[in-house]
Amino acid sequence: MAEPAVNVKLIKERLAFLKGGRFKAWLEICAHCAYCSDSCFFYLAHDKDPKYMPAYKVKQTLDKLYKKKGEVTWEELEKMADIAYGDCTACRRCSLYCPFGIDVAVMIAAVRGILCGQGLAPKGLQDAAKHHWETGNQMAITEEDFVETCKWMEEESEEEMPGLKIPIEKKGAETLYVLNAREVKFYPQDIAEAAMILYAAGEDWTFPDLGWDMTNLAMFAGNAQVMAHSAKLVYDAAKRLEVKKIITSE
Amino acid sequence: MQAFYEYIRDGRIKIDPAKKMKEPVTYQDPCNISRSGGLWEEARYLMNAMCEDFRDMAPNREYNHCCGGGGGYIPMGPQFRKRRMQSGKVKADQIRETGAKVVVVPCHNCFDQLRDLSAEYDLGIQVMHFKTIIPHVWDLPDHLKPPNEEAN
Repeated sequence: MAEPAVNVKLIKERLAFLKGGRFKAWLEICAHCAYCSDSCFFYLAHDKDPKYMPAYKVKQTLDKLYKKKGEVTWEELEKMADIAYGDCTACRRCSLYCPFGIDVAVMIAAVRGILCGQGLAPKGLQDAAKHHWETGNQMAITEEDFVETCKWMEEESEEEMPGLKIPIEKKGAETLYVLNAREVKFYPQDIAEAAMILYAAGEDWTFPDLGWDMTNLAMFAGNAQVMAHSAKLVYDAAKRLEVKKIITSE
Repeated sequence: MQAFYEYIRDGRIKIDPAKKMKEPVTYQDPCNISRSGGLWEEARYLMNAMCEDFRDMAPNREYNHCCGGGGGYIPMGPQFRKRRMQSGKVKADQIRETGAKVVVVPCHNCFDQLRDLSAEYDLGIQVMHFKTIIPHVWDLPDHLKPPNEEAN
């Protein structure tokens, strides 16, 4: 099968958009001093293989994209995807050690943005972003299933704490509580535990019926459109229900 | 986590000292909560409130290592699993060195990664959230207790 065509125009646009003073300075002033190397767990876990040095990962991705003015082959992009998604978790630990304050993770995130535009984000992340866009949560849980799970957990925890309720879409509550879709799907007990603690603390809280998933896998994929949408769903829920604060489950 | 910290600090939830966890427990600083979120001291306040033998990993706080499953690494899918386990060795070693058999972590992503690491590296650890532990160590006022306990 022939390799897909690289959308060079899109890469060029993206590179031009990103090339503010910060990225320009970072790419130029990195002295390759290697202070970042020992901070990276990928580097440490692979017997200090230089391929995992954070500065080198940038060299092989963003720096290369700029040097080649975005005119790269599909094979080169695939190699970059392997690094940006598979050799870095964007943990930001190396940023703490850089004497110039270069934030490698921000640059890796920029690379992910470019790769995602070419359809090279790993499928799991693309699917999650698609789900979030279409259903408001990364696991495509229906509103019906969400409400059902909350009711079930309410019944379970009411036995231990009489009077406990799991409110959904209660306008005027003090606090909005949002969580990880994984809790609803795989760890429903997490909902009961949180509800018990919020009740014991006397919190006046509510779940929203839309915008309850606080995760943002689109951000990790590099999809800015869905990233903004995911965050806005939570923001909109807070505005709609007129809460004063948001508590996340992490 | 900020909320749980405030509940206990302000006495909205009271801890029963007799119920505190006795076994050695360590804490995983998630990148987005500690390094990027700045909540590392709040976590230690909670750990010391709930556990008698809290043992920090080294390094810790904002310098802690990523669990090895962050940045979307877990949801990327099974084709990345082997690499995720290889690079997670640093975290597995960190946990083993504490001698703790329980790891508390507020992040659901770290939670899944640590459970995978425990199986891969035979760590024999139990991974728990703050919200799982708090109801086991709190001292509830009578009106919030279940009816049968109230009678005692």
